[in-house]
Amino acid sequence: MDEGIRDYAASSRFSAADKLALRYSELMARDPDAIDANFFEELRAHYTEEEIVELGAFIGFNLGYHTFFGTLKFYPMFSPDGTLVSQEESERIYGAAPVSLDTREARP
Amino acid sequence: MTAVTPLPLDAIADPELRDLIAEGEALGVPDALFSRILARAPAQGKPLLRALIMSHRDGGVDHTLKEIMRVQLARFAGDAYFSGLRSRQAREAGLTEEAIDAGSGDYEDTPRFTEAEKCALRYAEQMYLDPNKVDAAFNAELKTHFTEAQIMELGSFIALHYGMQMFMRSLRAALPFCHDG
Repeated sequence: MDEGIRDYAASSRFSAADKLALRYSELMARDPDAIDANFFEELRAHYTEEEIVELGAFIGFNLGYHTFFGTLKFYPMFSPDGTLVSQEESERIYGAAPVSLDTREARP
Repeated sequence: MTAVTPLPLDAIADPELRDLIAEGEALGVPDALFSRILARAPAQGKPLLRALIMSHRDGGVDHTLKEIMRVQLARFAGDAYFSGLRSRQAREAGLTEEAIDAGSGDYEDTPRFTEAEKCALRYAEQMYLDPNKVDAAFNAELKTHFTEAQIMELGSFIALHYGMQMFMRSLRAALPFCHDG
């Protein structure tokens, strides 16, 4: 999960199609002007028109809603080991630096 | 020309989707272009289209205010498509282009808007330009003007419309006509 967010371009874990979808997501949020005709040609080499619309709408939806959810300051109901926790405890676990559950051992 | 070719209307047979396209066209937001693009992925497209229309047309917050916020957001998003659309319902209620432009400009300084309207416009502006400012103090200010239900309606409206505007920006979609036809 974390590799897919941070180092996907250099990772051998993802296919070229996976990397392109991750780049679409990254660019829509951070550099939408870079999504040009050449980028869509590249997308079409890996995805159908239906899949491109699905990806784009999914990314837009998540881009919009995750920013909104971030302003509401709510956190998961359960800790990584499945224990029901208060919102204050959950904020302590997840709030400062959102990371995937796989890295929980590294968290203080 | 958009990066994805919209489906021709006569290729869309799904009655639910055709009804949603008609509802969007009746409101004016979205027009058939967006709906025909989403029609390429109908399983995702139908619920998104329904939510987009309902969040704008229905609910407990004034539709005219939401229309001003929607255009403000589309301009922030740099999306030519949604920036160019106008709600017929809001126009019929008396919304002018001057009021829309005021909502995207120095809205804090104009006597045209109430304190509640300015707070809603600030909510939309800060959500994507500076979300750290949407803090406990700002939420407390929102609660002096809006109910919890209205705040959730406003936040969801902002999130959904901004997200779809960024999607359409990525497609470099533009309107075949300007908003006055």
